[in-house]
Amino acid sequence: MNSMSSLEARRLVLRNDVAELQRLAGWIEGFAQQGMSSDVSFAVQLCLEEAVANIIMYGATRDDRLEIAVELERNGGTLVARIEDNGRQFDPTRAPPPAVAASLEQAKVGDLGIHLMRSFASGMDYERRDGRNRLTLRFVESRPSPPG
Amino acid sequence: MDISTEDLAGGITKVVLQGRFDTTGAVVIELPFNKIVTEQRKIIVDLSAVNFLASYGIRVLLVGAKIVKSKGGDLVIVCPDNNVAKVLKTAGMDALIPIHQTETAATAALAS
Repeated sequence: MNSMSSLEARRLVLRNDVAELQRLAGWIEGFAQQGMSSDVSFAVQLCLEEAVANIIMYGATRDDRLEIAVELERNGGTLVARIEDNGRQFDPTRAPPPAVAASLEQAKVGDLGIHLMRSFASGMDYERRDGRNRLTLRFVESRPSPPG
Repeated sequence: MDISTEDLAGGITKVVLQGRFDTTGAVVIELPFNKIVTEQRKIIVDLSAVNFLASYGIRVLLVGAKIVKSKGGDLVIVCPDNNVAKVLKTAGMDALIPIHQTETAATAALAS
């Protein structure tokens, strides 16, 4: 246990293959076991699954082989997740919110991933740098009220 | 991810899903689930043993509910108040598919 610093980081590199989502889930679970609250763990797993699934399914033009790097870093009470990929430019922070359906019959199937990311992450930033998409998600641990 | 069914009184079919209902899990249960929603008219989808839900799982539930509805049937969800329920509500599913916290409430809703 490092009492001098609460910083710790981990990195995982994935290919654009749907089977990689299972590897991602296992990797996050391993990280989550190190004292992350169950709510934050759930939120991180959800947002990373949605973000990476989007890149895997829509990031490649034709049969390009993509490299998707996921990084988790804990800094005190905040968990920061960074996702970087060399796929086509896509800024999820600018995606419009999903349409509200009037009925089950009229409800559109899909377009929920980014909405879930926005709702479950505490913050979300995007930048395009050196031909890569770089998405940063922040998750703030809710703390119990201080005594007194 | 696992899927199993149970016949309840009143012609109700209970579909029990178990595990991580993410992209990987949804792909596994999608075909058997679609078969059930095509063949049955009163369906309870029990998510009590589902510990994770992502958008691909929601897609499977929504498509299923649409199929049942198009055939004049009803599909309801049983889900305790947890993070999976929070995903369903955030996605607006509670406005489209009835969500109950207990099987008793779900059964009563289908019987009425």
